[in-house]
Amino acid sequence: MKANSAGAVGDNVANRAGARRIVSFYAAAALLSLVGLADAIYLTVQHLTGQSVRCTIVVGCSEVLSSEYATIRGYPLALLGAGAYFTVFSLATLGAFGYKTVKVPLAVVVGLMFLTTLWLLYLQAFVIGHFCQFCLLSAAVTLGLTTLIVISRRT
Amino acid sequence: MKRHLPFLLILLVLGVALGAGWYLKRNAVRSTAAPTPAGPTEAKASSPADPGATPPHTLGPADAPVTLEEFGDFECPPCGLLHPVLQQIEREYGSKVRIVFREFPLTPNHAHALPAAHAAEAAGLQGKFWEMHDLLYENQKAWHEVFDVRPIFEGYATRIGLDLEKFKRDDTSEIVEQRIFLDGKRGHSMDVKGTPTVFLNGREVPFESLALEKLRARINSELSGARP
Repeated sequence: MKANSAGAVGDNVANRAGARRIVSFYAAAALLSLVGLADAIYLTVQHLTGQSVRCTIVVGCSEVLSSEYATIRGYPLALLGAGAYFTVFSLATLGAFGYKTVKVPLAVVVGLMFLTTLWLLYLQAFVIGHFCQFCLLSAAVTLGLTTLIVISRRT
Repeated sequence: MKRHLPFLLILLVLGVALGAGWYLKRNAVRSTAAPTPAGPTEAKASSPADPGATPPHTLGPADAPVTLEEFGDFECPPCGLLHPVLQQIEREYGSKVRIVFREFPLTPNHAHALPAAHAAEAAGLQGKFWEMHDLLYENQKAWHEVFDVRPIFEGYATRIGLDLEKFKRDDTSEIVEQRIFLDGKRGHSMDVKGTPTVFLNGREVPFESLALEKLRARINSELSGARP
């Protein structure tokens, strides 16, 4: 009897620790997505105002952001990125507050972002031949989010 | 309250994101076309600008009511996109607009920008600057990624009927080098930081206003005496 109750207490402690860890993962994902959101908003504004679309003396994003791959039907790709990061933030925040249903949509969104990031890195490296530091920051954030999601699913 | 907290956080972040976007956009527009009391234009016009290479490469009469001065780099993709816009403006406005081209090769970002500027200036010494200018912009994608652009530019020189031997000599001459240097000096004195940068009667046109419709609107208001 004693052993059973000790086991139940142990399970309870383990569950609580697991729940805390999951909350930490979601919170970390929410915070990380805020970095990506800020980066994407900056890039969108730069694009919309033409600041980074022209060629500049200082090496920057102009080669990448003036390429045909920087827009989809005239809209800056960074705007799509901002939307994606905001979605991740929303889902991760809900997850941190115990909404279990966000688990799958969050994994799907981050998975799509990861694939897009790989494609954009390939374009920068092999097609455009230039790297944009703000795009690389976004790639780092997405890779970070992917890592968090993978680890959280394993634990 | 705790039930609503995540939604409040999401709304808060959405609000901050939209606000930050609006603030950044307002500041970015201000920095290029800031409505200062005197206007960005007057501020630029009153600061002493270097004269640049003389005579400059121009299209249209010297007494045209509107002068568009472009600082361009032949290898810069947005400059290549502006090229047909300016051609259209030239066709539409005829003697009302004078177009000036200034060399502003962005080296080392663009490996072939300087050789291209040299080729255009060397063609200019035989009176065919604009012919070479057009060929360089129209074929930008053809030479942009080529390792050795010299044979291509010599091919253009032949195509527009230049004396090839003179073109080759002029291409490396001091006079060509000096003209590019002087145009660059003028650009720096006018606070040019990228290409294409266009001045309309001495006032910088914000990059986002270089689309045909917007540029047309600016020229029209200049011609009617009212500034946009």
